[in-house]
Amino acid sequence: MRACDDFHATDRARRRMLEAPLSRRRLLQAGLGATLSVYGARALGLGDSLEIAQASAAAAPNAPVLVNVFIPGGLDLLDTLVPVDAYGRYADLRPALKVAEPLTLAGTGLGAHRSLAKGLGGGLTGLFERGRLGFIPGIDYANPDLSHFNSRHFWETGIISMRAAPGWMARWIDRHGNPDNPFQALSMDSGLSPLLRGARVPVAAVSSPDDAQVWVPGVWGDWHERMMEHYGAIAARRPGAPGPAAVFGAARQSRQVATTLRPYVKDDDTGVDPLAAPVPYPGDTEGEGQNGFAENLRYLAAMLNLPLGIRVAAVQAEGDFDTHDDQRVTLDRDLAKVSEALSAFQADLEARGIADRVLTLVWTEFGRRAQENSSGGTDHGAGGLAWVMGTRARGGVLSPYPDLVTFDEHDNLKVTVDFRSVYASLLEQWLGTGADEILPDAGRVGRLALVA
Amino acid sequence: MRCPTWLHVKRRPHAAEESLVKQSSWTTAHAERLLWRAGFGARPNEIEHWAQRSRGHTIDWLIRGGSGPHGTQRMVGPAPNADGKALDPNNEWGHDMLWWLDRMVRSQRPLVEKLTLFWHDHFATVDQDTPLMLAQNRMLRGHALGSFRALLQAVTLDPAMQGFLSLVDSDKRHPNENFARELMELFTLGAGNGYSERDVREAARALTGFTGNWREGRPLSIRYEPDHHDDGVKRVLGRRGRLDWRDTLDACIAHGAHAPFLVAKLWDFFVSEPLDRDTRRRLVATYRDSRHRIAPVVREILGHRALYADLHDPRMVKAPIVHIAGLLRLVGRGVDDRAWTWISGQMGQQPFRPPSVAGWDWGPAWMSTATARSRFLAATWIANDAPVKVQKGSVDVAWSPEEHVEQARAVTGRPWTSGATDDELLKLARRFLAHDVKPGDTVRAWQAEVTQSALRHLLLSGPDANLC
Repeated sequence: MRACDDFHATDRARRRMLEAPLSRRRLLQAGLGATLSVYGARALGLGDSLEIAQASAAAAPNAPVLVNVFIPGGLDLLDTLVPVDAYGRYADLRPALKVAEPLTLAGTGLGAHRSLAKGLGGGLTGLFERGRLGFIPGIDYANPDLSHFNSRHFWETGIISMRAAPGWMARWIDRHGNPDNPFQALSMDSGLSPLLRGARVPVAAVSSPDDAQVWVPGVWGDWHERMMEHYGAIAARRPGAPGPAAVFGAARQSRQVATTLRPYVKDDDTGVDPLAAPVPYPGDTEGEGQNGFAENLRYLAAMLNLPLGIRVAAVQAEGDFDTHDDQRVTLDRDLAKVSEALSAFQADLEARGIADRVLTLVWTEFGRRAQENSSGGTDHGAGGLAWVMGTRARGGVLSPYPDLVTFDEHDNLKVTVDFRSVYASLLEQWLGTGADEILPDAGRVGRLALVA
Repeated sequence: MRCPTWLHVKRRPHAAEESLVKQSSWTTAHAERLLWRAGFGARPNEIEHWAQRSRGHTIDWLIRGGSGPHGTQRMVGPAPNADGKALDPNNEWGHDMLWWLDRMVRSQRPLVEKLTLFWHDHFATVDQDTPLMLAQNRMLRGHALGSFRALLQAVTLDPAMQGFLSLVDSDKRHPNENFARELMELFTLGAGNGYSERDVREAARALTGFTGNWREGRPLSIRYEPDHHDDGVKRVLGRRGRLDWRDTLDACIAHGAHAPFLVAKLWDFFVSEPLDRDTRRRLVATYRDSRHRIAPVVREILGHRALYADLHDPRMVKAPIVHIAGLLRLVGRGVDDRAWTWISGQMGQQPFRPPSVAGWDWGPAWMSTATARSRFLAATWIANDAPVKVQKGSVDVAWSPEEHVEQARAVTGRPWTSGATDDELLKLARRFLAHDVKPGDTVRAWQAEVTQSALRHLLLSGPDANLC
């Protein structure tokens, strides 16, 4: 299984970072900052940072927001969205794996994996039934590259090339963003999503208000505030040369993000969370398994409800969908997590009354081989699955399901829709801007109706 | 005609003496700048050592090694560990990077480590097994200052590179163009710089014949199978014949675009000022005259006055791993915490894991809100342990604000700060020491300690600390 090693190496590196973020919890473990609870709702001199975000939000309070969710590893199409109309052929390809009782999606000839019904309001299948979710099966690009690393890079940049390039959302925010507001393009992670990498305008990477803060050994409480005032005064210099300008600019913007979010840090002593959600999220209840993806979405929904001027956001789902073995167990467990997290997020947006301006695109880097392998899994293949979700997303099955009889020359599903046509369609139909200026191949990939 | 070695080149009267920094104006600031750009910074006593010698002497030591501020010791400072355990770079996750970071911190051949980092970026190899990457790293280090031709040959034969760019098992029936393309685009000529798609395709044919001894999906070693090689006639970059892999590399190196491309990339690695046309021409001549040796070009760059421009207003953004190694060097601390693997990752550069075949984006691109915060917290990590951590009772309550700043500087290895920052630090010290203290009263011990903690941290975390 040569091809999948790159996923594990990349993913291992990521997980290590996720396991050990520079969070307050981690710093407390390291014995830092005994008196950190002074944060919380105390009135703070927020300076101009909140004003910048607010002004940017006020300029376009109903501006559409695109949330981009990445499912890592290459999610299998056939077992997630089961071709019930061709079940015999499906069962031949998947004698061991076949999903026994998929949930029928009326009028589509398809059935959903049962885990997709997990979560508020019937999970993702519930959203599908309410016309708020549109599946895009068979999505990929011509001559698919079966390397996780390469394929992911293509999706992230929107360009089929291994050249370094800014992420496609970075290129969008550069054209349509604000020169001062880092919240406009948000990576819900401790590192910047490659989708946003390379932007010239400010963007932010922050997984929670807590994750934006900093600590200094031996300098606590008001003393910390005073020290950071001096840090701010040092960072206020605006040098002209590109290197110093980048250093001083980033120092200012990271302070801007931290101070803007400071009032929303959860108070560990009182348990008061200013960003508490109006709906229950998975992992909220004691004893439930943790769901970091759900937590990221919970913070994102709450931040979308603040006047921060967020226009695009990137989130990564939890789980290992590189199912070379144990696919059945993995999908049962991890698809449930995805469904629970995303349906809570959607319910949250609806409860807050902001759902009409948020649309979510969920994608994975490739599909998997139609024919199962001998270890209870599937190898890297083509023709994957993506979906759009939201009150204004077009519901249904939005692209042709791949043929299960004739495959491409590598025995993979034939691609039925190019992911760049989804990007181009979202740019034009949802964000209301041109696609050609962002995607070099926008003119050649066609469009899908994705917005209702 | 025998080509001169680089030693001959060095002795040759220099064509452009005026481009060198003046020997007579060699100061502490010059030595400090050079030790940052050619290495990972230095302690004040080390900088002083070189400031009292000459520019030539310092550059000589950087390039050739020999006796320096610590005599002929190869590594200076405490041996590395990861949370108390010895490093096991082949087997323990992240220890590969700690192993290299330790060399950056302790090696008395800092330029060799710095150039190894340059080649690691130039020949970026992604997602290959750790033992292969460590072997590649040793190979790059061995060739770091030698002949580019020998380096390029070694890279071409390197199992990690062969696996990454699909050169292994590229045979005459299905020549894979991956390596051939990057050879021209990234390694020798630059994108679109005087070669065609046909050159790439023909080079891919010429590069066929390698096969691997595979284990667990990795080529552990590479061998050449003449049967797999396309021995037909090809035409690559104007050369025609039954070309093989060596001929192809030679054609790239001999191509007119190669020398200007490589010297410009080396220049940008060391100097933040743009490379002017005359200097570029001279560097190209040096490179060609030395028969494509790296040391003479680097020597000329390190002596160039542009490297010493704006000594009191540095303009190069320290790469994340350079920043971390520099913090440890300056405060005199060794590698003792596995946390550096993910801190460097969050800062945007985890050695052995470049983001793509094109390596990292250097310079201003290092900075974002998240990386700025991670850089701040790198200082927190430094300040949370000896020797930077303020010990109870170690601060004299009688210290004046000026003495506080001076003490903080001494502990942190005297990192560069601008005049404006110096004023702000003094302002902080005055404010902190006066806070809630009635005239005539002395400062409380904890208050003096807070002041000292804040100053030390700001010296390492402030924006200034990210520039060199």
